[in-house]
Amino acid sequence: MEVLFAALEGTSPAQALRGSRWAYAGVNAVHIFAIALLVGSVVPLNLRLLGAWRGISREAVVRVLAPVAASGLILALLTGTLLFSVRAREYSGIGFLQLKLTFIAIGVLSALALCLSHGFLLKDAPRMRLVGHAVLSTVCWLGALACGRLIAFAGD
Amino acid sequence: MKRLFFISVLALGLAVPFVGALAHHGWTWTTGGNIDLTGIIKTVRLGNPHGILKIDVEGEEWTAEVGQPWRNKRAGLVEGDLAEGVEIRVIGEPAADMSERLLKVERLFLGKREYVLYPGRD
Repeated sequence: MEVLFAALEGTSPAQALRGSRWAYAGVNAVHIFAIALLVGSVVPLNLRLLGAWRGISREAVVRVLAPVAASGLILALLTGTLLFSVRAREYSGIGFLQLKLTFIAIGVLSALALCLSHGFLLKDAPRMRLVGHAVLSTVCWLGALACGRLIAFAGD
Repeated sequence: MKRLFFISVLALGLAVPFVGALAHHGWTWTTGGNIDLTGIIKTVRLGNPHGILKIDVEGEEWTAEVGQPWRNKRAGLVEGDLAEGVEIRVIGEPAADMSERLLKVERLFLGKREYVLYPGRD
């Protein structure tokens, strides 16, 4: 693992980011934008699954918010990998980052499992199944957000 | 029930920034007063998000946070200035918990030359 992280630190994007002013700040900003898209769509989506806005069909809400959340996730993973690569060996040892990645993995797996069993639009999903996912997903993504922010305040 | 959920989400959102007010970024984690240390640089790790020096100060190891690359460069530091074995004098604010032996450098001296990282602070 250590060898892999050292290799990641040696890649040219990592080296460029380590020494740059605006590129590093830019990747940071895009990472925050990606998180805003992701969490900003996951929260209302989960609220709908929990029973908010009954006047709007669940299908319509899922159609709009799920792709936005997925795009935010992909963008966050890309920019997050770049930020991580700057000091991979140091960051890999930070507890908040490990916890954050765990939250992300559970959040993603929960969403995938729900889609695999009930389809992307969740047409025939039982109510309790949706509520269970919504609660778990909200805990995971808000947890990931909080842990992510705390990385900057931990470490040596 | 619905209202309760909204309120708890909101409360969590508001609480997060305060939990974060622990260390590193900005100056909230420092004492507000400066200390002045002279020692020998033991290890150097420069680059984003900020540079870190380990300095041997009369047998005690201190961690000194210097700037990001652009800030160090603006202060006049060039590649190789901050290197292992170099004697350095650092002036800056220590972490409120002095036992951490951590300080954020405002200006530093290599030999007689002064390098100012934060011109607005003293």
